[in-house]
Amino acid sequence: MTGEALHATDVRKTYRIRGGPTVEALSGVSMTVQRGERVALLGRNGAGKTTFLKIASTLLTPTSGQIEVFGHDVGSTPDEVRRLIAVVPQEGKPFFHLTPREQIYTYLCARGFDRRTAKERTSAVLGEMGLDEVADRLSITLSGGQRQRTMVATVIATAAPLLFLDEPTIGMDPFGRRSVWESLRGLTRRGSTILLTTHYLDEAEALSNRLYVVERGRVLVEGTADSLKQQVGGTLRVSIAGGVAFTSTFASFGGSVADGGTLHVILDPSRLTEILNLAVASGLSATVGPVTLEEAFLRVVGRSIDED
Amino acid sequence: MRTEPAHRLSLFRGTVAFSLTEFRVQAHEGIAIFTSMITQVVLLIFVTILARQYLSVALLGAILFSLFTLGQRVLNEAAYIRVDHKLNQLYLASPLTPGGYFLGISVGVLLTYLGPILVLVAIAVVLVPLTPILGLELAAVGIAVWLFASSMGYVISTTFRDMRAIWSNASLLFNLFGVLPPVFYPVRLFPLALRPIALLMPPSAASAILQNTLSPGTLSSSDLLLAVVGLAVETVVMFVFAVAWARRTAQER
Repeated sequence: MTGEALHATDVRKTYRIRGGPTVEALSGVSMTVQRGERVALLGRNGAGKTTFLKIASTLLTPTSGQIEVFGHDVGSTPDEVRRLIAVVPQEGKPFFHLTPREQIYTYLCARGFDRRTAKERTSAVLGEMGLDEVADRLSITLSGGQRQRTMVATVIATAAPLLFLDEPTIGMDPFGRRSVWESLRGLTRRGSTILLTTHYLDEAEALSNRLYVVERGRVLVEGTADSLKQQVGGTLRVSIAGGVAFTSTFASFGGSVADGGTLHVILDPSRLTEILNLAVASGLSATVGPVTLEEAFLRVVGRSIDED
Repeated sequence: MRTEPAHRLSLFRGTVAFSLTEFRVQAHEGIAIFTSMITQVVLLIFVTILARQYLSVALLGAILFSLFTLGQRVLNEAAYIRVDHKLNQLYLASPLTPGGYFLGISVGVLLTYLGPILVLVAIAVVLVPLTPILGLELAAVGIAVWLFASSMGYVISTTFRDMRAIWSNASLLFNLFGVLPPVFYPVRLFPLALRPIALLMPPSAASAILQNTLSPGTLSSSDLLLAVVGLAVETVVMFVFAVAWARRTAQER
């Protein structure tokens, strides 16, 4: 499947807070999401991720700029767009006096599905998301993670062409998160497209084909998790115990971060043997691991903050 | 691309389905259904003891007041699911239209609280007594009052961001306009100079229309015209505004 599911051009959003300052939440965001992709928006709190998702999902008007969903302009044809999308809101909660089964079923009916289809989809998604055991308990009796899973299941059951998920696995245990990941992968295999925000960088890496790092309302970096890691100067991290005293010795290998007495050096794999030999020659021990997306994120965003 | 059905039938079905969802959610609030009748029952007891001759007016007023305060329930519910649950985002970013969302909440609230109102109607059939003409009139003005109040409740709900402020303000607003004007008591006891105001307030206008049927001549023909036209125009204007407002606020500015 080819073509664009979402195309955003120079989207800006300025809030005028009564009696307070004007806040520019988005300062010209442009991005493209291809059909069948899973794309993650990463960024600090207040970076503009949720604002962008709300605009793209017809819930907020931009100050300027344009977003098209499957070729429909979000601002001028919201009704067309709404037929093609489903949204998991940030911090959303299911109706407390409905069971997960009722929540999903009634939501599908409200979207216009016939009762038989709604029932079939509800049963399928409850099983897929591991909610079978609590399917007939009122949501008020569920844990926060189970409620969040219910919210995600409600939206997954629609199998809408484009799904917006704002921090979909917040508060979930690792099993819950993985069942969500698997469901989302299954959805994109069947043709849906997903745009999500998350603060879990392992989730972004495991789930998304591409990611955008947003900082202060603008896109800092766009690419795959690997390409983001490349931007920090290498894909390997060598942690040298007691290396802080030898910082100048290892300076030529790449960027380094001190953590207690340990020096973490990020470098290209081609120089691994060289740095290990130097560490041993200096009487130091070292461990090697891959650069994580979190480290790359911290470096990229941190660099931007320093520049600002 | 898989799209969902968007023909008129499915939009209607979506609204009905959301109404039933709201009904299912609110039917759990047994205490709220019970307390929704406290003001009316207390006032009816006082009227029975102190001014038995006004019981018919008070009974019809209690039915209208019950329908009017459904607007307060709509206000509370719409604000609660928006501010606390964020579920408005789930439903508004979907094929359910913003107008369908507003109507869904309103009809769901009506279905939930209809039981006690029908009990009042049953009592009125015996005590007023409710003739077919008066019954039809009660149905017509009752629907108008409900629609006006629900529309007003929904519109006001969109202006609040804090649940604590909502509860106190909503209670004040709906009790003020439902109790002070001549809803429970005869319109002729209301100061003559202020009567046009009472006849322009939907709950008291509705009550005055019924009182005029109950005791012909209660209102002059111009006052009756003012009450009927006022109620009809206000209801239509407020409903159309609420649907437009729901559409506008579905996309925050």
